[in-house]
Amino acid sequence: MQIFNSGFFWFAEGILFCLILVGFRAWAQGRGIPLPGWKWAALLAWLLIAGFTIAFVGTSLGENEATAAVRGGLLFGLITVITGVGLWRLLLSGAARTEREEAAG
Amino acid sequence: MSESDSKNGMNRRQFLTATGAASAVAGGAGLGLFGYAAGQDPNSFLGWQNQEGASLTINHGPYEVEQPTYEVVGPTSRPDARVEQLFERRGRFRRQHQEVQQGGEWEPAMAAHYARVPEDLELDIIYVNEIMPALMKDMETYGDQFFLAEAWSNAMGAVGPRPPESPPEESDFPRPSRYGGFGGGGVSEPLKMKSPEKTAELIKKVAHMFGSTLVGITELNPDWVYGYPIRGRGFEDVNQPLEIPDHWKYAIVVGTPMSWDALYASPNYSTSSDAYSRSRVIAARMEAFVKSLGYPARSHFPGTSYDLMVPPICVDAGLGEQGRHTIIITPELGCNFRPAVITTNLEMKTDKPIDIGVQDFCKHCKVCAEICPSNAITMGDKEEVRGYRRYKVNASKCNNFWMSNMGSMGCRLCVAACPYTRKSNWLHKAAAKVTMNDPTGLSERALTTMQKGFYPGPEPSKYYIPSLGGENASYREPPWWLKSEDFIDFD
Repeated sequence: MQIFNSGFFWFAEGILFCLILVGFRAWAQGRGIPLPGWKWAALLAWLLIAGFTIAFVGTSLGENEATAAVRGGLLFGLITVITGVGLWRLLLSGAARTEREEAAG
Repeated sequence: MSESDSKNGMNRRQFLTATGAASAVAGGAGLGLFGYAAGQDPNSFLGWQNQEGASLTINHGPYEVEQPTYEVVGPTSRPDARVEQLFERRGRFRRQHQEVQQGGEWEPAMAAHYARVPEDLELDIIYVNEIMPALMKDMETYGDQFFLAEAWSNAMGAVGPRPPESPPEESDFPRPSRYGGFGGGGVSEPLKMKSPEKTAELIKKVAHMFGSTLVGITELNPDWVYGYPIRGRGFEDVNQPLEIPDHWKYAIVVGTPMSWDALYASPNYSTSSDAYSRSRVIAARMEAFVKSLGYPARSHFPGTSYDLMVPPICVDAGLGEQGRHTIIITPELGCNFRPAVITTNLEMKTDKPIDIGVQDFCKHCKVCAEICPSNAITMGDKEEVRGYRRYKVNASKCNNFWMSNMGSMGCRLCVAACPYTRKSNWLHKAAAKVTMNDPTGLSERALTTMQKGFYPGPEPSKYYIPSLGGENASYREPPWWLKSEDFIDFD
């Protein structure tokens, strides 16, 4: 468990985080989704919410607070899903608009 | 190579997308495991073991205020320890109760107190006539389960300094050693210190090296010194008011938390003795250190060896604020903090009190009052106590409950359940930071709601022993090393 307190762990998490962003960019480009700054900000905010939810559940389980893990997981998980769906629609609506513009023009 | 080129059936874009998705899964799993490790990590139990002061993980500077967060609302006075210090009054009650039953009279201070607060007499009688017999009966039946908790408490309580054996004018002053100096320090008069700032720095460092988790320094407010001596027995008349010695000018507050995992298993498995013992050893060492510099010093330490009230001194010394349960709430340890005080005239730079939002938080939270089995903690507003406006706890009700418990006795449920009393990991530190810095109060409400929803405990009535209608419940499961049944064959 010591590794999770180490600089190496956060270094690895940082690399994974960069790969997530690179992968997201490649995925969006493949679908013709434009990525203005606000979309990146929305994505980062959502990743923060999702990461917090996962870490909250893990921490609560580590503290032997099963009730907190379940109830907190459900609450924050619901928030993650709702904001995730919202983010998804925002992303795709941009893609649809691009497709319409391409078809019209 | 163009993007449409395929390699193993996957182009570059698809590869990057798949890598990103795999990274999301791996990163998420990493965060989950990080969280689990943080939750398990015993190092996030801040405690006595930290000797480098690094446990002061929260910078008090931004929260410093000029005036403490208690309010002065009338003429102030010193507490009468004979009747307002619960253990002192209960001791007097036990000594006089039988005599009064046989036609004798209460001593004047007790008679005046019972006339003023008749409920205290009722509760003192319940304590002797109902609580103690019920506990004796249940100890026979259920005592084995809590044997290790009791043994742990006894062991931790076994070490500590002796209370002073002579008046402050005598015992507080360093005694010249046979070599001409004081107490082995080699000085024959108080050393000239370079500056109050440097002295405070030295004292704080030394306190941490002695094992103190937190340390603060303040000028001693005379209102916190008992009006009548407690430790005067044997060398002063306890019915004579205690004159505050001139050399009780400054107060150094030191202290440590109780063992966290035992605390969460309150009331039956927790003990105050561990932190009491550590704090009083630290205080005794600090007393010796200050005396070695040639200055007078007296330590006031738990459980009952005090000439003063400690919580308001902690507030003055900038260690925290007094909560609804009247216990000091620190930003680092919540209310899991057992302090001791050293009074001296060694000149030091004092700390400023802090305002971390406890007054507003406690107004709405009430978790401690809701969990309190004896209803000793008020759900209402603050009251005036000796000229100060603060929450008031019914100490007699509180003591009647905790004297009925198994193990080491005591309760500590309000300490364990307080939202501020959490491990020092990323989650709870972030929550504390948000609360302390949110001027709207919205985060306080949200966190209090989450506290009640996420961290429920058994119904308050279940904490009582079976003979008093309860189930010997604990707030959380005991740590493995306090489960007697796993180690001892009682058959």
